[in-house]
Amino acid sequence: MKNIKILIIAIITSIVLTGCWDSAEINKREYLFAVGIDKNGKNLTFTSEIPKINEGSEEQRIIYTKESRNFADFYSTSYLHSEKAISDRLMQVIVLGEDVARDPETLKKLFDEIQRSPQMNRRVKICIAKGKAQDIINTEMSNNPITGRYLSEMLIKLKREGYQDIYTFDEAILHLGQFGCAMLPVVEINEESLTVERAAIINEYELVGILEPEEVQTIMLLLNPNKANIRNINIEVDGSTVSLGAVDVSMTDDLDLKGDKLSANYNISLYCYIDSFIIGNNSLEDRNFMNKVKNEASKMVSDTAVNTIYKLQHTYKTDLLEVKDKLFKFHKADYKKIEDKYDEVFEAADININLNTEIKSTGLVK
Amino acid sequence: MFNQDITPYQNISILILVSFAFQSMLMPLLLSEMDGPMGWVAIVIAAFLIYIIIKPLNKVMEKYKEDTIISISNRLFPKIVSKTIGIYYIIMFLTANSILMKDFAEQIKLMMLFRTPISTIIIVILLTASYAAKKGIQPIANIASIAILTGLVPYLFTIIFSTYYADYSNIFPVFPADVQGILKSVPAAMLGFFGLPVLLFSNSRVSAKEKNIIVNKRYIIIGTILYISCYLLIIVKFGMKEAVNLVWPFISIMKFVNIPGFFFESTEIVGLCFQIIVTFTCICIIAYFTNLAMQETFKTRENGYFIFLQIPVLYIMAVALPGMYMMFPYIQWPIYVLSGLNFLIPLAVIFVDKKKQGAKNS
Repeated sequence: MKNIKILIIAIITSIVLTGCWDSAEINKREYLFAVGIDKNGKNLTFTSEIPKINEGSEEQRIIYTKESRNFADFYSTSYLHSEKAISDRLMQVIVLGEDVARDPETLKKLFDEIQRSPQMNRRVKICIAKGKAQDIINTEMSNNPITGRYLSEMLIKLKREGYQDIYTFDEAILHLGQFGCAMLPVVEINEESLTVERAAIINEYELVGILEPEEVQTIMLLLNPNKANIRNINIEVDGSTVSLGAVDVSMTDDLDLKGDKLSANYNISLYCYIDSFIIGNNSLEDRNFMNKVKNEASKMVSDTAVNTIYKLQHTYKTDLLEVKDKLFKFHKADYKKIEDKYDEVFEAADININLNTEIKSTGLVK
Repeated sequence: MFNQDITPYQNISILILVSFAFQSMLMPLLLSEMDGPMGWVAIVIAAFLIYIIIKPLNKVMEKYKEDTIISISNRLFPKIVSKTIGIYYIIMFLTANSILMKDFAEQIKLMMLFRTPISTIIIVILLTASYAAKKGIQPIANIASIAILTGLVPYLFTIIFSTYYADYSNIFPVFPADVQGILKSVPAAMLGFFGLPVLLFSNSRVSAKEKNIIVNKRYIIIGTILYISCYLLIIVKFGMKEAVNLVWPFISIMKFVNIPGFFFESTEIVGLCFQIIVTFTCICIIAYFTNLAMQETFKTRENGYFIFLQIPVLYIMAVALPGMYMMFPYIQWPIYVLSGLNFLIPLAVIFVDKKKQGAKNS
């Protein structure tokens, strides 16, 4: 009797424990690497890129374009149109078309769906397409044919090097929730490749403008001076071109809120090396010349910063500098008094940049 | 029938595990109750309140040696009061266990077994947990001490890797603090220390009872550190606004784990695997102590019998009750009542015992 019991248990266990009875092998799956989303009347056009990993080539891809209401609709339609199991677990990047980003309702719906889904990976990279997302996904790049992989690696690099502030959906949703605005990378077609230089200003889930590369650089400097990547500063001093490379930045910020009057002072010290000058010219040994170089460099960076801040305050009316969050965290009592009219207070705020440039080295020659 | 002795280490493992499960379940309440990230103050206040009753409580329990809170109540209070206390603990344990099970089953369904009916998941958990609970406290204590090492520690260790790109300034503003919000959240924070009602039963099963005071105090300290760390981790990762918006902040945080050199297709599943070990152990522990409470309230000799009686009750309650996150808007008062009674019953036992002692001495 005991043996029969053991036998029955063993048989049931062996049947129950065949864990992979409904498994789908990798060659029966289609992994979405990139999805581009464009607006199409009331519907959305989803353009998905699927690498042909099951055919032994990493460099070939299939592109599907489908009109759907939302992600769930897109998946169910794709499921019915392919003999393979569709999986978004390895999704690398979501590219939002400019028209999608300009419509707050659509953007909110999309973000909500990604955020709500237990299956969808919130660390998927995100960027805004200049124009149609479909065109970005369809771009044929000879050196890197898989757009999803190319954009994913590009966005990781830009984040790591401090060129862009946000690169994942998770960061975008956290920023939009916490600050009400975010700066998302903009991807553009550049001949036979894709570039990510500029950044889109998203305010309350609406694309309100696109920042130029030097403006993105300024905001990155003010947001995170330790990680910001500043490009070469090329200036003209006494008819000669001097190129400076910023190697280190230190910054202190001082926020003050008195009644409705907000003032913010950013005191930045920029430590530079001389990157290039002219052989035979000994001006770099001259203290006056060096002072002129410092002043010119400071002026150049300050001017860009002032213009950028002016645009943020008056053109885009968007607090990308996260002043609101700092006020809430460190001046909560004063902030609560102006909470309802913060946008007006920000627009009228007195934001100053005090930049001090120091030249630490002239390189390997004097 | 049961081998009833457990070691002090096993006792502390039981208390920490049970508390951790409830702390992570009640975390959204603590996050949403106040304006600002000051929930850790509520945790400190709750821990302090529990800490101050630990010593007198243990002195009373030491006096009655093998007795649990219910048998001590039998000796101190009139029959009707002691029976009410017993029934309260039975209902409280049953409700807590069913909510824990429902929440756990929903997490498994949403993250892992999308097509399996939730009732099937609950039945499987229930039958397995009942089998473990029927085997007595020693196997459960062994499971708990192993679960700490194989579940909780790796879980917390893995979660550290989610702090990548966390904003540590999210722990501000500290001043001006939302005092009203903090005080309102103290009951929820106290309920998070679910080890308190459990230790009223488990202490009597410890082999070295003289160590109970120090073990219980250690539990409060470790529990507080864990509770505050988990709270702050969620705050720095998500910020207040997003944290309030999340149904299971602790599971969501696992989505952001990034261990250099490791590739996980879905990191939250890794976290859920550890969570399964922790929560399953908690369900076994609570099922066992519900059985003990029933046994002592109804004074029966067959002590494993009530485990089986619990199965249909727990199943019906787990299926009927909505998930914890659905109940948040309606459970403010139940939480006040539960944490109030969990605190006041031991307090009453301490006072009545002192009074009786005083009367005897005079």
